[in-house]
Amino acid sequence: MTSQQSALNADNEPAILTCGLRRSYEIRHKAEGLIASIKGLFKPEFSFIDAVADLDIRIEPGELVGFLGPNGAGKTTTLKMMSGLIAPTKGTVEVLGRNPFRREADFLASISLVMGQKQNLWWDLPPAETLALHREIYDISEPEYRERLKQLVDMLEIGDVLEIQARKLSLGQRMRAELAVALLHRPRILFLDEPTIGLDILMQKKVREFLLEYHARYSPTLLLTSHNMDDVAALCKRVIVINRGYKVYDGNLDRLTALARLDKILTVTFASAPPPGFDPKRLGTLVSAEGGRFCMKIPRDEAPRVAGELYNSGGVIDLTIEEAPLEDALADLFARPAS
Amino acid sequence: MNARVAKMVRIGMALLSAHWQSVLAYRGTMLVQTVQKIMMPTVLLAAWLSVARKSGTSYEEADYLLYFICIPIVTSLTSCSIMYTLPAQIRDGSLSRDLLKPLHPLWTHVFEHLASNAIMLLYLMPAPLLLGLWFHDRLPAVDMSPRHLTLFLGVFLLAIILRFVMGTLIALAGFWIEHVETLNLVFNAGLWAMLGGMIVPVETFPPTIRVIANALPYRYTLSFPLEVLRGHLPITDLAAGIATGISWTVVLIFLGRVLWLRGLLNWSAYGG
Repeated sequence: MTSQQSALNADNEPAILTCGLRRSYEIRHKAEGLIASIKGLFKPEFSFIDAVADLDIRIEPGELVGFLGPNGAGKTTTLKMMSGLIAPTKGTVEVLGRNPFRREADFLASISLVMGQKQNLWWDLPPAETLALHREIYDISEPEYRERLKQLVDMLEIGDVLEIQARKLSLGQRMRAELAVALLHRPRILFLDEPTIGLDILMQKKVREFLLEYHARYSPTLLLTSHNMDDVAALCKRVIVINRGYKVYDGNLDRLTALARLDKILTVTFASAPPPGFDPKRLGTLVSAEGGRFCMKIPRDEAPRVAGELYNSGGVIDLTIEEAPLEDALADLFARPAS
Repeated sequence: MNARVAKMVRIGMALLSAHWQSVLAYRGTMLVQTVQKIMMPTVLLAAWLSVARKSGTSYEEADYLLYFICIPIVTSLTSCSIMYTLPAQIRDGSLSRDLLKPLHPLWTHVFEHLASNAIMLLYLMPAPLLLGLWFHDRLPAVDMSPRHLTLFLGVFLLAIILRFVMGTLIALAGFWIEHVETLNLVFNAGLWAMLGGMIVPVETFPPTIRVIANALPYRYTLSFPLEVLRGHLPITDLAAGIATGISWTVVLIFLGRVLWLRGLLNWSAYGG
């Protein structure tokens, strides 16, 4: 294994390199109704859509990169090509100097893909059994396994769940056990596809803190897709944004945040009727109004001032400020004229 | 090479252990499957015993007894579930998790097959043993020499491999077809039961149908090992049977490899 791994890219060469990467899917069309179904049997109609088109990406070893875009932008398809699950239609992708789709054993032993709640854990067995199985598959020596396991268990705080059947674990416990399984072989490249999806705020924070600590210790190259802006802000300085398969931004997260004009969602509830002079359209964009409860999109910088103004107007029994969904902001950004 | 074999053995043992633990979580299901595997041959045994008494065939009562008592053992070790599990993985995208490991995904299915069949055999063994004891004075004498037993175990092993390869081919159709159940029902259940010897031993088929059965792979997954155990096959038939069984295995493995590579190229990993 060691001699094979030396053939993978050295640390001074790009960890991930794509050139004109494209992946098309064949879509079969069928009009409504029985006659159209019968017609489709004899003369099926197909079209091709590009999930990813002409994508050029270069990521250096040890980089932490956020991979963003609205739903259907091609993020997951790109990760699947980079990890060797699907083949590109056109262009090239090299990860650690290898063509991922060849799925050579030493390449696979150097990467890991964590996809939301998709399971590596064996459903009917405790995580300890899955970890032991992975030890054999990845050819990890017993002392090394013990040491790595101890570190992961401590960092992820999963000591108490290792011997409980996976199907009986809570979502948060399972996600952390999944991470332990995915990282047991110390991958050089870690693809994370929505790693905090479905988790509560506390658990999201724990996962983010773990990933930061893990990266500080072992410096894997980390490519993260997430709809959660907090994940991206906490983990990534550099972000790549794609839209309809095309790369539309590659650079600093702060600059993207300024460009995307990330709004805040302000929700205010009045005890009875709103005070005289209250005009939600003057404060921002009204999202919804129900009885005495108003939900508004407010420019990020304006949020504290508007909140103060509402409190001072009296009659407020509840007021919350949240991040606007990242994909909304990105969709707005892409919908703007090119200027 | 030795290190690679040793590693594969370690992985195999770990997978067997994991699968055994998983299978043991579904003891009730195993019990139902056991009853299903015993019921049909027992009903067929009763039917063919009455036929054997009335009309003379190449099989006598004792031969039918041996054949149908042994059938549950053969089917429990040759049956596989890859036709259900692999297409489901292809459909829901969970094949991704196995494709990302430095171990060919089909190995997991191989060891799942071995683990569940070994447990199934444990569940099932009491029934043939009891039937064997009950009818011991009516069973034919079986050659128990090491040479004959080795030959029987060899063709039995061939049957296990060939049936798994046939199941895998059906499963691989899942890359192109949404549901492979019908394909499985026709090619891996219906034709297998008719031409493999589930309903009646192939040796008792009419000559024309026997030629077809001899040429297709089904016989070598069920009837052939039991014909070898019975010990009445002429040496030429024995050699031809072994050669045909091995040829089918090699050809189908090659076809499976082509389908696997083409299928992956075609696959979109939806949902995974």
